[in-house]
Amino acid sequence: MVKNMNDSLPLAASSSSWDWLIQDDRIHRTVYTDPSIFAREMNNIFAATWVYLLHESELPEPGDFRRAWMGTRELIVTRDEARALHVFANRCTHRGATVCREAAGKASSFTCPYHGWKFDNRGQLFGIPGKTAYGAGFKARDMHLARPAQVASYKGFVFATLNPDAPPLETHLGAAASFMDEWIEHQGGADNIVVGGAQRFHLDCNWKMVFDNAGDGYHPPFSHQSLLQMTNARYGGGDISYFADADRSRMSLHALGNGHTLIDQRPDMYANSAWEQQRPQPGREVFEAHVRATVADEDTKRVLESAVGAGMNLNIFPNLLLIGNQIQVIQPLNTAGTTMHWHATRRRDAEDALNTMRMRTQEDFPIMGEMDDAGNFEECQRGLTSFPEDEWIDMSRHHETGQDVADEHGRIVGPVTSELHERAYYAQWKRLMAAEPTLQVNKSRIA
Amino acid sequence: MNKDTVTAASAARYQPASHYVDDAFYDWLNEVSLDLDAVTTQCTGRPEAALAAEIERLLTVESRLLDQHAYTEWLELYTSECAYWIPANRPARDPRAQITLEFHDRRRLLDRVARLGTGLAYSQLPASRTARQLSGLEIWASPGRNDEWRARCNFLMAESRAGKRRVLGGWYGFVVRRVGDALRLVIKQVNLLDPDEPQGNNSFFL
Repeated sequence: MVKNMNDSLPLAASSSSWDWLIQDDRIHRTVYTDPSIFAREMNNIFAATWVYLLHESELPEPGDFRRAWMGTRELIVTRDEARALHVFANRCTHRGATVCREAAGKASSFTCPYHGWKFDNRGQLFGIPGKTAYGAGFKARDMHLARPAQVASYKGFVFATLNPDAPPLETHLGAAASFMDEWIEHQGGADNIVVGGAQRFHLDCNWKMVFDNAGDGYHPPFSHQSLLQMTNARYGGGDISYFADADRSRMSLHALGNGHTLIDQRPDMYANSAWEQQRPQPGREVFEAHVRATVADEDTKRVLESAVGAGMNLNIFPNLLLIGNQIQVIQPLNTAGTTMHWHATRRRDAEDALNTMRMRTQEDFPIMGEMDDAGNFEECQRGLTSFPEDEWIDMSRHHETGQDVADEHGRIVGPVTSELHERAYYAQWKRLMAAEPTLQVNKSRIA
Repeated sequence: MNKDTVTAASAARYQPASHYVDDAFYDWLNEVSLDLDAVTTQCTGRPEAALAAEIERLLTVESRLLDQHAYTEWLELYTSECAYWIPANRPARDPRAQITLEFHDRRRLLDRVARLGTGLAYSQLPASRTARQLSGLEIWASPGRNDEWRARCNFLMAESRAGKRRVLGGWYGFVVRRVGDALRLVIKQVNLLDPDEPQGNNSFFL
């Protein structure tokens, strides 16, 4: 085992500064702007807790691989000939060059382009050019590609952590697991989900701007005003228009523990028919006519609605957002830079017509809505950076109204516009940032 | 409510009706996409000079109207059954199986134009100023047709928005059809250099 004792810590864990930076109802601006805080997040959050990597359907065949990230750490995830998954650092154990230069593909081995060291697709070193030049000291060392301390999959969703002391993945997911199950059920079950490509966006903002928004039921009538106005003018309402007076809606916000949260849109989106609620997408008439002609009357609503999003915004701290039918992944790059990956999904059991409709539906919000949010995140970053004397970010909405209420399962449920989401995930953020986690990789031979 | 009532109700609500994005349309799009990106040294089916100039003029106007944010006039250059397509892969993959960056029929193009027209689309406040450079235009007749042509050219687009400058590049593929006296665009396929890499704010039209 190789231990990384976090070379230089920018902030002392024992410091009371965390309680000052993250208060009950406000956050200090430097949490979004200070490079030393970002550097510590990459260890204490994006390595020391479970980080989502990819969905197993992205590696359907033996030999498939794709790059993935734990924050700024780049990994390769592979499926070997026995169909087992492997996760290892994209970093040659010789001089540090990346051994994989492609985003995804098929490979039985990875040869470092610099000096030709060869690793199999389980990350095991099996070839060194001119091996006779090495002696016993070298041969005693573990030189296989570095593997995270723990890797686990929850119903096809693959996570990893460098922290050997992190609780089991299911414990970490906790109350969020049953909502993941509901999301998976909307897709027809765990084995039914197939990732069908991705849209990727670069944002000039801190990654938490994206996470903040993922549980924000307050912004839609404002940030998405153009979308709502257009939808009303052209179609007399529909889509997310139920957010217009959100605190009177049937939607709710749930704090699920460990920083995970949920916006449940289903009571409004599925109140009558989610298919009728959604804006018309290309191919709508053709698909609807096809379903009505081929599916029994009592099943048409269910089939049409399986082309529509799940009505959940399920946020698994720190980087997995299940939104609509998409698997969204947050990849922090630096203090003010973030990549968003929006993975689209189709259903294995569905005919092509349904999956085609799902693609057109999943393309709708990114260009019609997400762009306006992204612009607002970037402007938040600019505002926070440009005016340091105004130090605080407010998250007190519904903090003092008594409307965030613990339910019988120990979850807290509040109005959909409550800033409970931020308060809940920042409590977890603070716990993790104040800790002194052990981060480990393993370069030994796979048993 | 019986089936016909439901269908009639949605049909009345979702105007203009859009009945053309069916399997045959996607099959045709994939065929066009392969043809636009074919590796060939041939240049057969090139229209005679006057027609080629007319097509080139249409593409120049299309490009200029986008630079001018004249979206209503821009959309009038398109047929009623058109598609605007930005693949998320290079080469483009079947949009039935893979997500695209954008895939719009005429109705969703109207949605997008209306959204930008509200003046409240914050990703375009301020609006992107663009200047497109088209080059290397090739035009050939659609196989088996005398009223339809395919065209391909490279583009570079300088963009400036809110003090930030970018250059987007790639190639455009077009299908152009004679409709009455006018030439109209049926397909615009925008092949970015890096559609599989993270994109910036492309909330205008490429």
